Amino acid sequence: MKIFALSLIFALPTLADAGVEAVVDAHILPGYASFADATQDLAEVVQTCDSPDLKPAYHAAFDAWLAISHIQFGPVEENGRSLAIAYWPDPKDQTGRAVARLIGANDPAVENPAAFNEVSVAAQGFFALERLLFDTPEPTEYTCAFTRAIALHLASAAATLNDEWRGDLAGLLRNPGQDGSPWQSPAEALRVLYTSLTSGLEFIKDQRIGRPLGTFERPRPTRAEAYRSERSLRNVALGLSALRAMAVALAEGDIPDTTAAFDRALASAQTLDDPALQGVADPGERFRVEALQQQVVGIQAAIATEIGAALGVQAGFNAMDGD
Amino acid sequence: MATRRGFLAGLLASGAAPGLGWADVGGPTHLSAAKTPSGDFVLTGLRDDGSLAFQLPLPARGHAAAAHPQFAEAVAFARRPGTFAMVIDCARGRVAHEIVAPRGHHFYGHGAFSADGARLFTTENHIESGQGRIGIWSRQGGYTRIGETSSGGIGPHELLRIPGTRTLAVANGGILTRPETGREKLNLNEMRPNLTCLSEDGEQIAQWDLPPDLHHNSLRHIAAASDGTIACAFQWQGDIYDAPPLLALCSTDSGLRFASMPDSAMRNMAGYAGSVAVLGDNRIALSSPVGGVAQIFDSAGRFESEMKQADLCGVAATATGGLATDGLGGVHRIADRLSLLARHDLAFDNHLVAIRDALG
Repeated sequence: MKIFALSLIFALPTLADAGVEAVVDAHILPGYASFADATQDLAEVVQTCDSPDLKPAYHAAFDAWLAISHIQFGPVEENGRSLAIAYWPDPKDQTGRAVARLIGANDPAVENPAAFNEVSVAAQGFFALERLLFDTPEPTEYTCAFTRAIALHLASAAATLNDEWRGDLAGLLRNPGQDGSPWQSPAEALRVLYTSLTSGLEFIKDQRIGRPLGTFERPRPTRAEAYRSERSLRNVALGLSALRAMAVALAEGDIPDTTAAFDRALASAQTLDDPALQGVADPGERFRVEALQQQVVGIQAAIATEIGAALGVQAGFNAMDGD
Repeated sequence: MATRRGFLAGLLASGAAPGLGWADVGGPTHLSAAKTPSGDFVLTGLRDDGSLAFQLPLPARGHAAAAHPQFAEAVAFARRPGTFAMVIDCARGRVAHEIVAPRGHHFYGHGAFSADGARLFTTENHIESGQGRIGIWSRQGGYTRIGETSSGGIGPHELLRIPGTRTLAVANGGILTRPETGREKLNLNEMRPNLTCLSEDGEQIAQWDLPPDLHHNSLRHIAAASDGTIACAFQWQGDIYDAPPLLALCSTDSGLRFASMPDSAMRNMAGYAGSVAVLGDNRIALSSPVGGVAQIFDSAGRFESEMKQADLCGVAATATGGLATDGLGGVHRIADRLSLLARHDLAFDNHLVAIRDALG
């Protein structure tokens, strides 16, 4: 009997800590549900290509993506799905090339979701849609069908992600160590979330802000994310808001320095009247973007101290090595 | 009681250990430097079931190790720009010799023995000229320096002996650094990485350069297949979203050929390959601790699969497959996926060295 009881104890899945539960319930699941809803709305609006609701629906769906784009594990990392949703950074302009190729060839793939699934991932997501909505002279019948194909593709991808998270994955993350769970211990579950948080911040600092900043001698305004639809700053702000919510959920206890650092950066972003971050090329404006970037560095430091150290998660021994 | 352990202990106590082999020190199959929770540095011997065969103190952070082909002796190299390497007598558990780089040189963290085990080769920087050197040391003379030769480039990093041959392969990373500026990269615009093959006598046999448009792809780590093909692992010094493939295969017949990999797999490497191994089944494992992934390629360099694991860097062959280590103490078997064999209270450092590679 005693042996039986012991084996029963060992057979029980290890419970994740409350921070993991909170992130799953308050952040990941509602985030994917909203993304599925917003892309579904977009797919409905795009049925008529001249709808005045089209651009707002694009923005709403992109906003919803920003709430979870830092969750770079799970079904989104399979089959290049993340890139198919948002192909950026894109230094070789694969998006422009892929969009031009389809239009130039009048590729019938846009009429068939299965065929569209096989075209370049750079033509399947938000950044291709942005070209069609904000950077194409006059919509034609073809670009209209192309727009529809992207919207349907996004809605289908978002529905799949939402289903998979709602199906098994949320449970497996809550119960690390359970059979079939990709996470073998509560510590691993915590680490994957903490990594999402820190990688998300690094992406905002180095890519969303750092790419357009370039260097003082050579600013790169056309490297700003989604500058054609003037969402560059909005993506920074929405990304920061999402990560703030995630940090609060993950930490369990109070993290006053972290939330204060987030709030400072968010306040700066709000006063920065430069939606496409084109001010990086103006020495008089540029310093404000640099200041915002430094505030993100401040958030990173606060998180390392208040969350990383408390969770016992440190930056990788090898990842930081550089040899 | 005349147990084997007692016999060994007696030998050790008498100081008469007659060149014990690897089987005599717990049968490790692999070596890795590591850091302990208290912040000390060690050299570990691992068995291919993930267990620890030994754990011996190092005076400072190690990088890679070179296994002697016959004796249970390993050279643990300090990470660059270190100026010393420790010869560890794995049977007695002590530093048998300390190797100090000649004045004006520093080590890069890798080295290898000659096929007969008589000489040790080390990758070095000749600081004044910035040119790469291969230091040659005689084991018999207590690891005395007996010569040096050009590495064929700047910034030689990993060096190996192609198993079954007396040919050395050197990864010249191309990046100039100086001790006074630490790890700062001083020549990115002019860097010219290459793979160089040398005889054990230090004669250059062959050299392969990268195409000019890929000159920012710093060759750091290499691994040899049984047919002599060298798997080359790179670290891209440009925009990581503009990185070319970070794996190439090189053979005398076909030259340097870059692997093919999907866009998403390339991005997941984050521009940084930390280690490469040719596995026991001839597939190739490439690791990126920055991206937290290991990727598997077939023997022709075609991408097969990707496995996520935080801070994974060390990869090495076993008889039939592969083994991987991470900075969180994990030892994993590499098959179609990673399976955790053991988790030790250690942070394994960059490289996992298969002792079998030194024996062939």
